[in-house]
Amino acid sequence: MSEIGRTLPRLESRAKVTGRADYAHNLRVPGMLWTKIFRSTVAHGRIVSIDTEAAKAAEGVFAVVTGEDIKSVMPEPYFGPAFHDQPVLALDKVRFVGEPVAVVLSHDTHLAEQAVQLIAAEYEELPPVFDEIEATTSQAIVHETLKPAGTFADLKHLAGRKNTNIALDYQLRRGDVEKAFAAADHVFEHSFRTQQVLHVPLESHAALAEPGNGTLTIHTSSQTPSFVRMEIARLLGWPENRVSVKVPFLGGGFGAKVYVKIEALASALALIAGKPVKVALSMEEQFYTISKHATTFTIKSGVTKDGRVVARKCDVYWNGGAYADIGPRVAQKTGFTAAGPYDIENVSIDSYEVYTNRPTAGALRGFGVPQLVWAYESHTDLIARALNLDPIEFRRKNILRDGRPQATGTAMKDAAIDKVLERLAEAMGGTFDRGSGGMRRGRGLAIGFKASISPTTSCATVNVNADGSIALYINTIDMGQGSDTAMAQIAAEVLNVGAETVRVVHGDTDLAPYDMGTLGSRSTFHMGHAVKLAAEDARAKLRALAAEVGLPKGTNYDIKELFKKRYGMQAGTIVGTGAYVPSYAPPEAKTGQSANVTPFWMVGGTGAEVEVDTETGHVRVVKLVNVADVGRPVNPKIVRTQVSGGATMQLGFTLHENMVLDGGQVTNASFADYKIPGFRDIPLMETELVDAEQESGPFGAKGVGETATFGVSPAIANAIEDAIGVRLTELPITAERVLRALRDRDGHPLGDDE
Amino acid sequence: MMAFDWAEPATLKEAVALLDPEDATVRAVAGGTALMLMMKAGVFQPTRLISLAKIEPHYSQVRIEKDGTLKIGAMATLSAVEQSADVAEHFPVITETLRTLSNVRVRNVARVGGALAHGDPHMDLPPLFAALGARVVARGTAEVREIEVAELYAGYYETHLKRDELIAEVIVPGLKDSRAAYLKCTSRSADDWPALGLAVHLDVEGRDVIKRARIVLGAATDKVTRLKETEDALNGATPTDPVLKRAAATAAEEVSLLGDAHGSAAYKRELLKVYLVRAIRHALRGKHA
Amino acid sequence: MKFTGELSVNAPREEVFDKLKDARFFACCVKGVRDLKELSPTTYAAHFETKIAYIKFNFEVTVELTEAQRPCRIAAKIEGKPHGIVGRLSATSAADFHEAAGVTTIRYEVEASLTGRLGSIGQPVLKAKAKEMEREFVENLRSGFLGDVEAVLP
Repeated sequence: MSEIGRTLPRLESRAKVTGRADYAHNLRVPGMLWTKIFRSTVAHGRIVSIDTEAAKAAEGVFAVVTGEDIKSVMPEPYFGPAFHDQPVLALDKVRFVGEPVAVVLSHDTHLAEQAVQLIAAEYEELPPVFDEIEATTSQAIVHETLKPAGTFADLKHLAGRKNTNIALDYQLRRGDVEKAFAAADHVFEHSFRTQQVLHVPLESHAALAEPGNGTLTIHTSSQTPSFVRMEIARLLGWPENRVSVKVPFLGGGFGAKVYVKIEALASALALIAGKPVKVALSMEEQFYTISKHATTFTIKSGVTKDGRVVARKCDVYWNGGAYADIGPRVAQKTGFTAAGPYDIENVSIDSYEVYTNRPTAGALRGFGVPQLVWAYESHTDLIARALNLDPIEFRRKNILRDGRPQATGTAMKDAAIDKVLERLAEAMGGTFDRGSGGMRRGRGLAIGFKASISPTTSCATVNVNADGSIALYINTIDMGQGSDTAMAQIAAEVLNVGAETVRVVHGDTDLAPYDMGTLGSRSTFHMGHAVKLAAEDARAKLRALAAEVGLPKGTNYDIKELFKKRYGMQAGTIVGTGAYVPSYAPPEAKTGQSANVTPFWMVGGTGAEVEVDTETGHVRVVKLVNVADVGRPVNPKIVRTQVSGGATMQLGFTLHENMVLDGGQVTNASFADYKIPGFRDIPLMETELVDAEQESGPFGAKGVGETATFGVSPAIANAIEDAIGVRLTELPITAERVLRALRDRDGHPLGDDE
Repeated sequence: MMAFDWAEPATLKEAVALLDPEDATVRAVAGGTALMLMMKAGVFQPTRLISLAKIEPHYSQVRIEKDGTLKIGAMATLSAVEQSADVAEHFPVITETLRTLSNVRVRNVARVGGALAHGDPHMDLPPLFAALGARVVARGTAEVREIEVAELYAGYYETHLKRDELIAEVIVPGLKDSRAAYLKCTSRSADDWPALGLAVHLDVEGRDVIKRARIVLGAATDKVTRLKETEDALNGATPTDPVLKRAAATAAEEVSLLGDAHGSAAYKRELLKVYLVRAIRHALRGKHA
Repeated sequence: MKFTGELSVNAPREEVFDKLKDARFFACCVKGVRDLKELSPTTYAAHFETKIAYIKFNFEVTVELTEAQRPCRIAAKIEGKPHGIVGRLSATSAADFHEAAGVTTIRYEVEASLTGRLGSIGQPVLKAKAKEMEREFVENLRSGFLGDVEAVLP
């Protein structure tokens, strides 16, 4: 029986449902100090003074640490994957409300919390800027100097700049859009906006750093242990082998726990205190830690009278918040797909990562693609309507098919855009109840695609023990997506054993080799390859061992016997290693052109049927059909839950989730007021995997974690217009916004708030 | 969170005695679902909490008297009321309301007394019980008195309970032939606090004349509010479309609405008009529902 | 949080302006303000206490008069620090005065924000409280002009 394509329950499911799985949040060690963070109350300002005296004198306080103190162990205490712009604790300036300014350490978390209230900081206020468009011309400068990190190969080109809020301006030029617009029969231009939202993993960030004898061990809820080790070693000026990063299971990640978030703080505090120190954030503090970019996207298309899109111009502004985090990569990697999965001769894309005084934005399930699809698929429907074309037929005429060049010039390969579209057309076609009276129904669909992050490296080790048992060592983190199970299946397939017998050891930089990170739906493809290579290496070594002990080629042997024959007893280990980095051609700086910009494409689409209550504006999603090209699924059951889970998350971002800011302060920083979908919000959901294969993938597989997020928002907006003839261009699509749009159209607008 | 005293009295009388009329930071805690949020947020720092978990078990009872009156002990969980077959039979409107009140985790822990005493206008039970003419039995150190739920609220988080009083029980008069409905509108997730909640309770004469209406609004004002002018517009009327439309217009004029994270005041005014008509129709459709 | 409103008083606008510019009078119109101290002719410090049900909030407040164009406009900047909890209250307020037939119309605009723990939650409560304070302020102001001003002074 093949292990690939097998619906195997997750290896860790029993440990999880019986409460035995380990989480960093639950970890305590003897002598450990708890921490509570004193945070900025101004959105933008120079730090004049921080008075910690009263807090230091408070009951149970071990120490109070400020940004200046951090310098004693980290001389240049700035971190970040794209720019070294984020101080471990604020230095000189604060850039958003909620920024960490000082920390109280105590053996008692409640005493630490009390002492924090005694800290007082004085700031010289500077004008803040919150809007991504304003920030591009604002006199308020969030960072006086930009400091590129130069860590990742794909971000090497970033240049340091002064006096601008634009962290990165990415551009792509293909053909001549202006000429094509002039020649086109029709030109359409629309603007779309998305709001700032949050990952809210149920397990908040937690890190425990333990100083050793010239070493440091960090237990953390991170999606990127290898990066954490590298970055902490850099900050400390230590070799990587003195820093260990250990990651148990995560209670959700969704991009919130990539790169360094609180690990630098925990590390510095542990070294300053000389004791184990735990930094564990509350749910409220997640809102000051990382979020998803708010965006403004203006899209303009030139179309021929028979419905061919011949030119497209995209201007995308990403509201990055106070620190760059991985935003520049979002602006670039995601930016180059801004024209959509369409075959367009003339394309111009400008994508700007902009600093503002909001909490930082980074990667969130989809890495910016959902914001883009929101715009281009809404735009696509608007054009189809204006030209009186069937929206499916219009798409059919324009989609990118295999072999055709994408906007970067990279030829499409194994991207089942056509199949996804056709499957959706089938699911959403036919007649249906359009409702009556004040309740109106409509249908809409949307498709999107995403490039994988490249070039990135994954390494794996497979140990074959002397009893024949197999252990896999990887730094891919299982955060609920089922990677341990999928990786075990890949190793088991090569080594011809049952996947449930494979032990997966994940998240330990002392045991497992480098991995770039569990992010961007890259693990199945990249780590999948590395695991496959490592298992093949082990298999080759087993065969060599068989030959060495004199077994004729092709013999069926018991592994245990093999070791016994070679070492005279149950002894020895075979270590198989694998490393994978896909080939990549960096895009040309001015035009964004590249012959090989991604190792694979993810393709997803959603069809929605909605019912709109025209008296209240309330939108009920009746049915949501999510179609995905995942290549060949390694574990179909887990893949399907990834698809429905991704769509559910995006449903919340579409209809109601919103980080509300007032004077820079997030005013709904709790689950009481930041509502994610509950059981009663989940519509009838169908998951469809199209028959596809990623030829370059391990056993034909590719990533899936983000695919179902692409089409949800525009499919719903398109369905709403189908139902009531009103177009919403800003997320979230709240009932009030729908009613206001209806009233505006009917000429009796709803008054302003009073 | 600062250290505080935790008391677990064995009787309601003892619990009342432990309250301190001079000290607002001494509070009783029933299920704690609301108070814990305030404590976690750091806005409320108690000096003493009086847990009611161990008071006499009869304060958790849910029972229907011979005359059809429903008596709910203050310490009954919302789930206990939701799952009561008696309540479902005689007060389906209460069962229906509870099924969509917050989520099952909250309902398993939150108590009816707490849900009424908390005084957050966004809660579902206060407007419903107010419309049904329910009364709370408040026990103080000196006296026991009854207060109409409709008269219980003084403002946001504020009730007319004295500092040395606790709700012991809720008394809901039997519905008899009257009709009731509670409809709410949530604007974020379905288990969120509502943007607007509207309870109607109608005595109907003959086939379709409203003899007496009680209309109570929640979530859109700073406290649970009876819409008396709207009631007057409906009393004695046959609820035809024009009558309902006029009543809706009256309702929208009658109260000053408060915008919040769930919706602007202007939006809530529209919701009020729509939900008034719907709630009355909903009430008239079923026997009780 | 933004509040705008309008009220009229039966007094010439010079009189209205002068009274409102008088910090002592102004402070008396805001419930819960005490211990007003003049730091300079345009800056004041005070203690401000307010409560929502059983929850009390205390702030140390400074007020800076940022604009005083007699008799048309007054603007002020208010900053406050809550007791016992990290946070910050900041507000700007402006009032414009228009007079017609002896009646002065005051148009006011207040923009306030609260950062820190208090601001991160409980916004609906705070907003309701702020509305209530606005009503009280308007009432106090009215009665301050209706009868003698001293009536509202302690």
